[in-house]
Amino acid sequence: MTSARKPWLLIAPSLALALFIIGYPVFHMAYQSLHEISRFGVVRGFAGLGNFTGIFIDPVFHATLLRTLIWTVAVVGGSLLISMPLALILNQDFHGRSLARTIIMLPWAVSLTMTAIVWRWAFNDEFGMVNLSLQALGVIDKPVQWLASAALAFPAEILVGIMVSMPFTVTLLLGGLSSVPQDIYEAARMEGATAWQQFRLLTVPSLRPFINMAVVLNVIYVFNSFPIIWVMTQGGPSNSTHILVTYLYELGFRLGRPGQAAAISLIMLAILLAFTWLYIRMQPKEEAA
Amino acid sequence: MNPKLKRSLWAWLALSPFVVIILFPFAVMLFTALKPAEEVFSFPTRWLPVQWRWQNFIDMWHGANFGPALKNSVIVSMASTALTLAASVPAAYAMARFPFRGRSHYRQFLLVTQMLSPILLVLGLFKMAANISWDGANLVDSHFGVIVAYAAFNIAFAVWMLSSYFATIPRDLEEAAWLEGCGQGRAALRVFLPLATPAIAVSFIFTFINAWNEFAVVYTLIRSPENKTLTVQIVDMVAGQYTVEWQLVMAATLCATIPVAVLFAWLQRFLVGGLALGSVK
Repeated sequence: MTSARKPWLLIAPSLALALFIIGYPVFHMAYQSLHEISRFGVVRGFAGLGNFTGIFIDPVFHATLLRTLIWTVAVVGGSLLISMPLALILNQDFHGRSLARTIIMLPWAVSLTMTAIVWRWAFNDEFGMVNLSLQALGVIDKPVQWLASAALAFPAEILVGIMVSMPFTVTLLLGGLSSVPQDIYEAARMEGATAWQQFRLLTVPSLRPFINMAVVLNVIYVFNSFPIIWVMTQGGPSNSTHILVTYLYELGFRLGRPGQAAAISLIMLAILLAFTWLYIRMQPKEEAA
Repeated sequence: MNPKLKRSLWAWLALSPFVVIILFPFAVMLFTALKPAEEVFSFPTRWLPVQWRWQNFIDMWHGANFGPALKNSVIVSMASTALTLAASVPAAYAMARFPFRGRSHYRQFLLVTQMLSPILLVLGLFKMAANISWDGANLVDSHFGVIVAYAAFNIAFAVWMLSSYFATIPRDLEEAAWLEGCGQGRAALRVFLPLATPAIAVSFIFTFINAWNEFAVVYTLIRSPENKTLTVQIVDMVAGQYTVEWQLVMAATLCATIPVAVLFAWLQRFLVGGLALGSVK
């Protein structure tokens, strides 16, 4: 066996498995999106771009596309904004640090589905503990209908989204902070740099690759995030909380429009590919390995 | 006051709002799970049960069909994790040891597979399962289809973590074994693999938790109640029901959550190093 072939033999099983499980569905969805398909999956004929034009004149799709953008930016941005100070605190040496780290990481361990179920109950307008606690604290004076109103359900879901994305982001940033050499801080202090200057001029630049990675992976996860919205509101009330993944699921498995659902999948795929391509382009060139 | 004590006070003070928000759902689960039904739906709502009802956990066990669902979750997660690692360990070894042509392409391919979440492909996966004949029928409603799909979606994460750990294992020991006349394959098995066992164990557990917590694939592919995993089984208790028995649902979520949370709490320190190195290097 030549040594040029050996690594390929080693990666072949993983490559084959991933290519098969991803390749076939992508191919099939491309086929579906170009055909007219009954709700029972029977192909009625070639539809050309009919499914795509159907989607583009669907007002729910437009609102959903915009909402997906808001969802992704708000959750990714929000989790980065609170993860940065959290990582800086957890990187300090203080009593009970490992306990604090464990608590902050905890939402990661609970499945999104379970989190969504618990919050759906906690946000219950009559008997939920969110209203109970906020009333006890005097923040609100009468129960709020969290998930039954279009104006509140989506922001509530964004907050849950931020909470579950935060542990992963903190972990990446903590890994980054532990790789920053400490002697540069000593040198900076000797030069009389303030804490803010040290943060802005030393910490942020050394963390940049980790911040980039956190943004890219979070955008991918959050853009594709299904359970929180599906379990908490199923896209309702009156389609006001749908994002693309929940809408495509509803089209494909509830409303019997699989062709249009496949079209949305492909549109999402294109958005993600464009995003990843942009990211790879922005990366500094890797060594020619 | 000594500086560390002062720092600790400040740190905990700053963390306290987050700690409250993070522990809030656990408190909701625990206290709802321990209330009798009439207290769950009564005014004024209270945090703590007046009458602590441990019987809920037993009722939930039957009501949620918890035992069989637990067994399904264990089977699906174990098998898919084993399959993931069987494919990922050799690949991660290649990534860590050979500077081969196409390595960065393979890395990009992994990033793309990470990007294509199961939910995005769920229509195609469903069609695929329906088209493959298996055991007299097809792969819809079979655990096998779910297992293979999970394995494929977990490969990127596993290769990522494993290769970053593998790169920290010194090469010299293997090279010494070659000089002793040991073939490269044997050296990998005899010298490298024992050193890599802790990393493989950690990846095993994280992949296992990923599979355990997955929702979209199993929600779509598994149809009959006796084949459902825990996650879907519990969602069924709240979806499409006229009256949701929240005290039983919370007892079930608590039982499904605590073991995994404990396992994770114990392991999370391994993530900080492995994930960060793997993602940036």
